[in-house]
Amino acid sequence: MAKYVVKRILQSILVLLGVSIIVFLIMRVFSSDPAPVVLGEHATTEAMEAWRESNGLNDPIIVQYFNFLGGALTGDLGTSYYTHTAVTQEIMSRFPATIELALVAIIIAAVLGVVLGVVSAVHKGSFVDGFSMILALVGVSMPIFWLGILLIILFAGVLHVLPSGGRIDPLLQPVGGTGFYLLDTLLSGDFEAFGNALQHIILPAVALSMYSMAIITRMTRSSMLDTLNEDYVRTARAKGLPEGRVTKHHALRNAMLPVTTVIGLQLGSLLGGAMLTETVFAWPGIGKYTVECILKSDFPVVQGVVLLIGVIFVIINLVVDIIYAYLDPRIKYSKEEG
Amino acid sequence: MESNKNVMSRRKFVELFGAAASATALSSLMTGCGSTRASGSGTGSSASGTADTITFAQGSDPRGLDPAYVDDGESAKIMANIYETLLKYDKSSCDVKPGLAKSYEVSDDGLTYTLHLQEGVKFHDGTDFDADAVKKSIERQLEGNRNDDMPYASFVFGTASEGNGVSTVEAIDSTTVKITLVAASTPFLKNLAMSLASPIVSPTAVEKAGGNVNESPCGTGPYTFVSWTKSQNIVLKANDSYWDSDNAPKTPNIIFKFISENASRVTALNNGEADIIDGIDDSVVDTITSAGNSLYDEDGMNINYMAFNTQSDTFKTPEARKAFAKAVDVDEMVKSLYGDYAGVASSIMPLWMAPYDKDVTQTSFDKDAAKSELAALGITSVKCITYSNARPYNTKGGQALAEAVQGYLKDVGVDVSIDTYDWTTYKTKVQTEAYDICFYGWVGDNGDPDNFMNLLSDSNVSMNVARFDDADYKALIAQGVATPDGDARDDIYLQCEKMAADKQPWLLISHSKNLAGYSPKVKDFVIHPTGVVWLWGATKEA
Repeated sequence: MAKYVVKRILQSILVLLGVSIIVFLIMRVFSSDPAPVVLGEHATTEAMEAWRESNGLNDPIIVQYFNFLGGALTGDLGTSYYTHTAVTQEIMSRFPATIELALVAIIIAAVLGVVLGVVSAVHKGSFVDGFSMILALVGVSMPIFWLGILLIILFAGVLHVLPSGGRIDPLLQPVGGTGFYLLDTLLSGDFEAFGNALQHIILPAVALSMYSMAIITRMTRSSMLDTLNEDYVRTARAKGLPEGRVTKHHALRNAMLPVTTVIGLQLGSLLGGAMLTETVFAWPGIGKYTVECILKSDFPVVQGVVLLIGVIFVIINLVVDIIYAYLDPRIKYSKEEG
Repeated sequence: MESNKNVMSRRKFVELFGAAASATALSSLMTGCGSTRASGSGTGSSASGTADTITFAQGSDPRGLDPAYVDDGESAKIMANIYETLLKYDKSSCDVKPGLAKSYEVSDDGLTYTLHLQEGVKFHDGTDFDADAVKKSIERQLEGNRNDDMPYASFVFGTASEGNGVSTVEAIDSTTVKITLVAASTPFLKNLAMSLASPIVSPTAVEKAGGNVNESPCGTGPYTFVSWTKSQNIVLKANDSYWDSDNAPKTPNIIFKFISENASRVTALNNGEADIIDGIDDSVVDTITSAGNSLYDEDGMNINYMAFNTQSDTFKTPEARKAFAKAVDVDEMVKSLYGDYAGVASSIMPLWMAPYDKDVTQTSFDKDAAKSELAALGITSVKCITYSNARPYNTKGGQALAEAVQGYLKDVGVDVSIDTYDWTTYKTKVQTEAYDICFYGWVGDNGDPDNFMNLLSDSNVSMNVARFDDADYKALIAQGVATPDGDARDDIYLQCEKMAADKQPWLLISHSKNLAGYSPKVKDFVIHPTGVVWLWGATKEA
């Protein structure tokens, strides 16, 4: 197990190096020159050239890359060209919003996805099964931004029961704390602010959870159907165990293994892929900010964010793999088998 | 034993995971569904029946809140309520009047400006506003102290080594400042009223912040800075010890919210989450008004145009440019694209700015003449570059405009090929790409005619995309800068307008209106032609 973990960590480092190279090259090759954006309408050609020089953009690309990598390894991701603020500071002021949204979304997706998947499998071919599969199809097919707009129109525009965007009423905003508003408001005992934050997160979380919920539903249903046909399940039934107990204790636990992997991967995707949701709902997270920075060719910020998301994604994958190995004693890895 | 222990842990893990997930999701859903209170702005109210808070929603965060370090309108809107300038603009024009300077004199040679400051004014940090503060606020942006990240310093205060701008700033006594210029510059007075670079910043705050108060602004204005939650909002509160009782803030709290999507901003207004929104186009006007909200539409300070590359083989002569211009029915195109929310441009300067346009006429639409003249000149294909994004002067984006022109030219036998780029890339392409025509525009900085007319004399090709290089025109521009305001100066810019119409480096298209949506409960806010919003006089019914 220890060897496996070490091997996976080494693989993860290689993946991160690859990510850093790709994002660096993409920004340098496909992005436009940041100088006109940073220096504004009145900048002269000479001023722009001087700015490029002082920001190292005239250095050979390999030198630029190693400067970036050297900084990143020491936790210094540079300074935003546009706002002159440290990239880590820019990221950390927005990342809690993204994590909070992703966590609420994955919880909604996991709970609904597992429940619908299990019910569909147990009652295969029933109305509930058909309904769940249609919902899964809609969840996979419907673009998030479109679903988001529909939710806003219905719940904010027509019914006026939920806010259309933002994270909390500005005058109720918690000061300091962890940056997770639901947690901060709860810990401070400010229930009005907690309720307000909860209202704000519902629509974006539901919109964001739809795709993941669909994937989890399908995976759970498929995994449950396979498990329900296993010999040991038949044996359990033959022993006279109640169907509910067979489903819950014998089938579900084993069916959950691949589902756990999917939930982990979906969480990673949600952390890095909430750009559209954040834009539609004016959610102040890292995704929306990254889009803004890409449009401004703010290289340090985009590189920093992509690297951070890469690190998180790799860590989640690593943890999921380790949990998977831990949950399923049958899993053996080459070195250990030897 | 070991095996059993592991099994128990795995079970616990799955159970705990399921229980935690269910509990959190259920509590989220139950609380959310049971709630009927949507977040609103200005829910509190004062005894006078007015709300405590006005919320203004704009498209994005400001770049920063230090006037020396920013160049964007989103920053200017917020800073205009925190800082003040030595001179300030009239509410509805760019005429200047006393601000932090209660009076001023300009020497006969136009080189020395003596400003007499208001007394008893304090910065938000409690320090005194005086001549020394003015000196420091300006000097940090002069050559020698200036750095690359001060985008408007050279525009407002010039570059002494290049023969323009501020030479020295002297504090004569605590309430008198003398600013000496290298060369006479009439626009300097209007520059002093700008929301970028010019606002006076507390020197103590600048020193405390390490030279840059982007995130801890400190001025003398009617509102003080409370907080900035990135990508969400900025909160300001009324300055209780504001010096100017005639302009004291009437609403205790101002919130600037940042909502990037136009449609989401409109929904926020209609849902009561915002009281005023800007950055909208005509496509959402019906949605705003049908929800009972009001539309603000006033002439903006901008020009939307198509530039001929006067250095290209195709359009190096005015005859070729005029032949092309005759093919485009600008009136019809503007009406079709922008409806009632832009006016046809008959002059480079917006019509309200000055009397300079009265006698100027542009090339008229004449399809038959265009067809024969273009054929005679052998012009059958034209390369066009344009931008994709909506711009303040062109809410439909450059591609829609280019395609409209392409359609007109097709009717006269000319094929226009269009390459479209996002705005950031486009700014580089206009400098590096070989094109015959391109689309561009300008939003005025200070309301001075020089600010529009010198675009055609600028040596920087990203400003002068027509690459128009005319010695007579440049001489007129230089003369206009040094001539004091009055009839003689007006005449110089009239000549510039006529020369531009005659030599046709641009095809003028439109002047866009400034649009905003607002709740009818909100009264007395000002959206200035420069695009900034003044909220200290605004109130909102509770």
